[in-house]
Amino acid sequence: MAIHKLEVLVENEPGVLARIAGLFARRTYNIDSLVVGPTENSKISKMIIEVSVEGHSLEQVIAQLDKLINVIRIEEVLEGAISNTKHDTQPDYQN
Amino acid sequence: MAHVPTANGTAMTGATSLVKSLEAAKVDVMFGIPGGAILPAYDPIYDSTIRHILVRHEQGAGHAATGYAQVTGRAGVCIATSGPGATNLVTPLADAAMDSVPLVAITGQVPSVAIGTDAFQEADIRGITMPFTKHNFLVTNPDDIPRVIAEAFHIATSGRPGPVLVDIAKDALQKQTSYNWPTSIDLAGYKPQTQPNKGAINDAAALIAQSAKPIFYVGGGVIKANAARELLELAQLLGAPVVTTLMARGAFPDSHPLHLGMPGMHGTVAAVTGLQKADLLITLGARFDDRVTGKLSTFAPNAKVIHADIDPAEIGKNRYADVAVIGDLRETIKALIPALTATLAKGRADLSPWLASVNKLKATYPLGYDTPADGALSPQFVIERLGKICGPDTIFAAGVGQHQMWASQFISYEKPRTWLNSGGAGTMGYAVPAAMGAKVGAPDTTVWAIDGDGCFQMTNQELVTCALNNIPIKVAIINNESLGMVRQWQTLFYDSRYSNTSLESKRVPNFPMLAEAMGCVGLSCESPADVDATIEKAMSINDQPVVVDFRVHRDAMVWPMVAAGTSNDEIMIARATAPDWDSQEL
Repeated sequence: MAIHKLEVLVENEPGVLARIAGLFARRTYNIDSLVVGPTENSKISKMIIEVSVEGHSLEQVIAQLDKLINVIRIEEVLEGAISNTKHDTQPDYQN
Repeated sequence: MAHVPTANGTAMTGATSLVKSLEAAKVDVMFGIPGGAILPAYDPIYDSTIRHILVRHEQGAGHAATGYAQVTGRAGVCIATSGPGATNLVTPLADAAMDSVPLVAITGQVPSVAIGTDAFQEADIRGITMPFTKHNFLVTNPDDIPRVIAEAFHIATSGRPGPVLVDIAKDALQKQTSYNWPTSIDLAGYKPQTQPNKGAINDAAALIAQSAKPIFYVGGGVIKANAARELLELAQLLGAPVVTTLMARGAFPDSHPLHLGMPGMHGTVAAVTGLQKADLLITLGARFDDRVTGKLSTFAPNAKVIHADIDPAEIGKNRYADVAVIGDLRETIKALIPALTATLAKGRADLSPWLASVNKLKATYPLGYDTPADGALSPQFVIERLGKICGPDTIFAAGVGQHQMWASQFISYEKPRTWLNSGGAGTMGYAVPAAMGAKVGAPDTTVWAIDGDGCFQMTNQELVTCALNNIPIKVAIINNESLGMVRQWQTLFYDSRYSNTSLESKRVPNFPMLAEAMGCVGLSCESPADVDATIEKAMSINDQPVVVDFRVHRDAMVWPMVAAGTSNDEIMIARATAPDWDSQEL
C-alpha cells in the first residue's frame, strides 16, 4: 500500500489540528505519521502528514483536506525528487 | 426601516458590534431563543432593524433558517445560547451541511475564563460541529466580531454553500470594543473556483456531441446556482432526456417532454433505467449519492461521466469523472451552451432512437398507485390533489419518509425553490419549521408543509411560533398512524414484523385539537370525497396557520423501489414485480 507524504501549510489557529485529525478519522483515511511545526511566518504552521491510501485516491484525500478553510496549501513530497508536486484539486485542468 | 450603516471606529460593546455586524451583512430576519450566555446580544437585538422570531425549540430555529435560505437563496440565520441551546442546533446544522444550505448559526459561549472548566451550560459546540459545518469560529476577543461575521457569511454563501457556526464567549459580548466592518475579505485557504476551465468545457462539449445516449443527471446544485433557466436552454439545445434528483425537483419543469422524473431508490422506471442505459451522464451539481446510484459498481455501467460541480472534492469521490468541470454551475452551463452549439454544428449523433426508448419506458411505467377497495383514503391521492389544487407557485416542504417520496413523485414541480426537503440527512421533523422559515422568506406565497404523523410530533411546537408571529403556513399531516417508511421496510424485509412502528396517531393525539391549542385552525379529512373541499377550505384561511389531519390508510407503499444496496437494474414497480424488460429495447 502506497504511503504518500503531504506537506500542508495551515493557519496557526486553535483547533486546526483537531480539524485535520477529525477529517481523517471521519472519512476513514489513515494517518501513518504526523509532524507539526512552525514556519518563518508565525501565522502559518507546517504539517507533514504521511497518509496510507487504501480505498481512497490520493486526489480525494487532498481535495477533502483542501476544503478546510484553515488549510492554505498542500504539496506532495516526492522522496528523491528535485521539486515537490503541487496538487491542484482539479487534477486534469491546471489553470 | 432602512438600515443605517455604523461608522467604523465607533465604540460599543461586543454584543452591539455583533448586531451591527449582522445588520451590515444585510440580515433581515433571524430565528432564535435567548439564554444566559447569549443574553448580552439580546439587548441590542431589542433595538435592531432585524426581525427576531422567537421560536419554541432551537432545532426549529435551525430548520426555519434553512427553509428561509432555500426559498430566498440568501443565508439563513439562527441564534441560540450555550450548552443545550447550541447542541439543539446540531441536527439542523448537520442537515444544512448535507444539503449545502447557506446558514449562519450564532451561539453564546460561557465566559472565556470558564471555557474548559465544565462550567454551567458549557458545551464545546465548535468541536461538536466541526464535522458538519463548512467552517466554525470561537470568538473570545470582541474586536474580532465584525471580521468573523463577515467571513462567516462569505463562507456560508460562496462556493458550495454550507452552514457556518460562530460561537462567541459571553465576556466578548460584554466587553467594550471598536466596531470595524471589514472592507474586504481575504481568506488564504479559501478561494472557490467559480469560472470553469475552458479546456474542460470544450472536452465536455466534444464528449456530448459524440454521445448517442446522453442524459442530464441534475442535482440540487443547479437550484443553488440559480441555473434553471440555463439548464432549460442547454437541455433543449441537445434534446437529451433529463432526470432531477430529490434535491433538484423544480430545477427542470416536470411538465417538459424531456423530463423523465426523479432517479434513485424511489425514482421512476424511466429515470432510473435512463441512467443505467445511458452512454454519457452529464452530471450537473449532483454527487452520486447512494440513494441515486444504488449499488455503485453497477450504476450506469456503460456511461462516461461529465461531472460539473463547484466542489472539487465531489469529483471522483464516488464515481470516476471522464471530464471534470469545476465552477459555478450557472457559469459552467453558460459556457457550455456556445461550446456545444459550435461542436454540434460540425456533426452530431442521432438521439431519436434513444429518446424513443426512454419515452417508451416513461409511457409504459408512469407513477401510479392503487386505490383501496374499502374506500379508505390514499395518501398519494391527497398529495396529488394538493399539487393540482395549489398549483406550481406554491412552496411545498416535506418531512422525511413515505410522504416525502410521494410529495416528490405526485406533485408537479415547475419552478426552482418550490420544493424543500431534507434530502441528505433525512431529518424527520424538518417540515413544519422549514415551512415556517420559507413563509417568512416568501410571505406572499402559499407554503404547505406535507408531514407525516411521526415527523409532525417531533417539531410541531413551532406552530405556536407561526400563530403568534403571523406566519400562516398550512400543514397536511399524512396520518397513516405509523412510521410509514420503516413499516414499509418491515413489510418487505422483516416478514411484516411491525416492531415499534405503530404510532396510533388516529387515537392520540387529536391533531385538530392540538392545532387549535396552538392557535391554528384544525381540520380533518377521512374520505376521498372530502379531499378537495378540505384543501380549498385550508386555502381560504390566510390569517392563521392551518393543520389538516388527512387520515389515510396505512398499507400504502412507495413504488417504484430499488432496495438499499442492490443494483438499479433490480428496480421493482410493485412488490415482487419487475418491469417487463423483454418488451423494452435499450
